[in-house]
Amino acid sequence: MDEIINNSEALCEFLKKMIIDTLKLEGITVKGIDSTAPLFRKGLGLDSIDALELVVAIEKIFNIIIEDEEVGKRAFASINALATFIQNKYKKGSSPCDG
Amino acid sequence: MVHNRVEFKNKRVIITGGTKGLGKAIALAFARKGAWVAINYSSNDEIALTTKAELGSLATKSLLLKADVSIVADVEKMISSVLDQWQYVDILVNNAGIIRDKLLMFLNEEDWDRVLEVNLKGTYLCSRAIIKTMIARRFGRIINVTSPSALTGRAGQTNYSASKGGIISFTKSLSKEMAKLEITVNAVCPGIISTPMIENLDQATKSDLLKMIPMGRFGDPEEVARAVLFLASEESGYITGQVLAADGGLT
Repeated sequence: MDEIINNSEALCEFLKKMIIDTLKLEGITVKGIDSTAPLFRKGLGLDSIDALELVVAIEKIFNIIIEDEEVGKRAFASINALATFIQNKYKKGSSPCDG
Repeated sequence: MVHNRVEFKNKRVIITGGTKGLGKAIALAFARKGAWVAINYSSNDEIALTTKAELGSLATKSLLLKADVSIVADVEKMISSVLDQWQYVDILVNNAGIIRDKLLMFLNEEDWDRVLEVNLKGTYLCSRAIIKTMIARRFGRIINVTSPSALTGRAGQTNYSASKGGIISFTKSLSKEMAKLEITVNAVCPGIISTPMIENLDQATKSDLLKMIPMGRFGDPEEVARAVLFLASEESGYITGQVLAADGGLT
């Protein structure tokens, strides 16, 4: 997990796969997700209930807890934003999970 | 609906206020159908231990959890403890409730607050603490216990009926949030049920109460438990945001 977190490109790819798997998105591939596009509404078209599932997945995989809706909004702005958020949180001492 | 021992086999259930009265009947009913049953209580250790022993002889696995459902730290500790031991929970029954009946003019702030805290805030806190594990598994059943008082009103119960009415609204809103994830949220509305509290009333009061019930008899706790089990079952997967009254026609 450390290797992935420290490599932004790998992390972005991992997150795209996580989103596809968690939300069981059909017809969307890792390559088809733009790292800079918004995840919600106009971009990937996710909604706030999808966000709940992603919050739970991120907690399970990275042991990072998103407690606040505002924090979540910033973190889920795009794949790039989410990767940066995870890298920052991880550095601040969140212990990563083995999975 | 076919009732057999395997219906809730290895389903993990938490029932708040599960050591006496209706909560106990619900806990035992789940246990008879093969569920793992965790019961919560807040104060009476003696009753709790007796019920736990009874439950232990019926349930595959059982837990006794002491916690005040209106205190966030208590609730989070309780839910973590269940998740540590059982990994996840399938069904939450928010049954814990208190009454402090007084006519509004005499209803002090403490009696108002306490009833709202235990009944309504407790439902919120327990649901919130458990929801992540349900989201992660895309499965869950939350069943909240409401009251005829919420639907029709009752003198002396402005605090209680407000808390139970709040539970109905809470149920409906949470059901909308969770529907996409196959987590259903419903309420059960028990009528006047034969519990020691009702049995000990004087004959005149009992007879007045009976006149209000079209079926002309008090409900059995088991009859309410069956409604809860139905809403918790796989068969009820398309039912969410509803209030199911088991009340002999009272409402």
